[in-house]
Amino acid sequence: MSALPLTRPMRPLSTKSAPLFLPHLTTRHASSTRRHKKLNIISPAPSYNLSAAPNSTTHSRSAKPSPRAPSATHIIFNPPSAAPSPTITPPKFLPASDPRRALYSSFTAASTRSALQSRTPLIAATGTSLSSPSLLPARPSANLPPPVRGSGTYEKKYHLTDADIAEIRKLRTEDPYTWTRWRLAEKFGCSQFFVSLVVKAPEKAAEVEASHQAARDRWGNRKRMADEDRKRRVASWGR
Amino acid sequence: MKRIRIQRWGSQFLAPRTQFRPQCPLRPPQHHLSPFPQPHSCRSQSTSAGDIFPPLDADESAGLSQQDEDVSIPPEALPSPPPSAALKSAKLAALHARLSLPPRLPIQTLARALVHESADPDPNFNNTSLAILGSNLLGLYTSEYLLCHYPRLPISVLFAAQSAYVGTKALALMAHEWGIESVAEPGGEVDPGLLQYRRLAAGAAWGEFAPRGTGRPNEQKGWRRGITSKIVYDDQFGDMRMKTPEPSQPVPLDIAAESFVRALMGATYLHCGRATTKRLFASHWLSRTLDLSKMFEFRTPTVDLSKLCAREGFEPAVARLISETGRASRHPVFVVGVYSGKDKLGEGAGGSIDEARVRAAVMALKSWYLYKPLDVTLPSDAEGMEPTKWKPNLVDLGEVIV
Repeated sequence: MSALPLTRPMRPLSTKSAPLFLPHLTTRHASSTRRHKKLNIISPAPSYNLSAAPNSTTHSRSAKPSPRAPSATHIIFNPPSAAPSPTITPPKFLPASDPRRALYSSFTAASTRSALQSRTPLIAATGTSLSSPSLLPARPSANLPPPVRGSGTYEKKYHLTDADIAEIRKLRTEDPYTWTRWRLAEKFGCSQFFVSLVVKAPEKAAEVEASHQAARDRWGNRKRMADEDRKRRVASWGR
Repeated sequence: MKRIRIQRWGSQFLAPRTQFRPQCPLRPPQHHLSPFPQPHSCRSQSTSAGDIFPPLDADESAGLSQQDEDVSIPPEALPSPPPSAALKSAKLAALHARLSLPPRLPIQTLARALVHESADPDPNFNNTSLAILGSNLLGLYTSEYLLCHYPRLPISVLFAAQSAYVGTKALALMAHEWGIESVAEPGGEVDPGLLQYRRLAAGAAWGEFAPRGTGRPNEQKGWRRGITSKIVYDDQFGDMRMKTPEPSQPVPLDIAAESFVRALMGATYLHCGRATTKRLFASHWLSRTLDLSKMFEFRTPTVDLSKLCAREGFEPAVARLISETGRASRHPVFVVGVYSGKDKLGEGAGGSIDEARVRAAVMALKSWYLYKPLDVTLPSDAEGMEPTKWKPNLVDLGEVIV
């Protein structure tokens, strides 16, 4: 995937046959209320149009839902977006003794088989519930979402020798102001955290902490309270 | 292993039976107020006034019933009401009915369960012995429920859940819900249906007891108490075992109420047996909702998750941005999922990518620790069970240690 963050997809060139499942917004508002409301129209969920044929021309933004006349007996599974609950254990976390493991693997196999047999839709964004008409899990060939940082694969390197470790220690203890953690990490191809594990510079750390504390003492009430609120908010992430 | 006959042990807690005295055949029949009719020729088990007070002369004893015996001793002289007063108490009968206690549980034992040792230090008449048994039973049933249904729960969360179910505050709250009222001052003349204890004065110190030796090696060096050592050396809540206070010392209401609830549990077990006690536990304790997912607090969830994946042999966890909105606005929303290979372990939403990533790791860890197996066989149900029916429960490796 590209390095650009995910944005709303651009409108495809052929608009008549492919319904867009997101509003047509590239501007914040239009010049009249009517035009603005027109841009905000979202197609109904695919489960509403199951009575019609999949590739008919009735697929458009103005198609009316017809849930009362399904062509065949089926179950419509269209759950609203919600945060997942921790009481549902992901299949990977189930122990070997759990009978649900076999159920999950057989379900995944069946859904993969059926997914491979049906046609690929024009829009195939992974992760969003409105993307695939059957709401089954993503195809095996579909890409995973982009990693938040790095390339996604993270290989630990164990390339530093004892001589390198000794060199790091020597440089940092001699002159911690020139040989900072960042510079040593760049030089030896490791992380700053690893450099801090190898050698500590307590005097420099105390000086840096003192200057930071002096800066914090100069804060006014508003900034200090905002900082305290931020700390409390960060602590609440772990609950 | 030889089956332990608890019925025989239980009789040690009750006062010894005294010889029953024949009643005068000319006296009119007494109308007992208790809901369960007792034959006139028997005395109730827990009556033991004959042990403490000197025996009456042979002439007077021939014509006396148990009610007339107590008239000679003024109730104000006794530290707690005599057991015979239990039959006349409307509050006690109402409590017995309100809790739907089985008829086999005598009303006199219920009255005894309401007497704390601060009101009456005599162990034959207070609830201490029943409370010890009941406390052990509550601890057993709660801990086996939590350990069998949530095998991966971390130890600190286990302790917190245990105290949420059967801790002092929980039991005191239950006693309040059951409508237990307490006396202003204990004595023999009070209604036996009230909780009797000597109340601690407002503002007085409580809880500063010396810890008694826990048995840890090198305890005198003052080392930090490790979490796993609390299971071995400390009590069911992970707290250090303290020296018990003097029996006559005034106590807060919570302590007295807790002793009643525990004593009721012990009394039910002794009089009615294991099945009834388990039913009582299920209806009063297991019916209470405890949201275990809210009892976690992770300091470094991303580190914990990566260690967990390394320990279990999963591919390293990678945070991936599933969707986002409003990145350039005042209130963005990012949805980040933590993936191990192609499998999603957890998902979190937040106002920044960091927050969403951390919340996703927290969700993944919670779904690991809150795993609940489908079938569970409780050890306390194994008594009398056929050996083929026992299915071993999952015993987990333990929490992730960073």
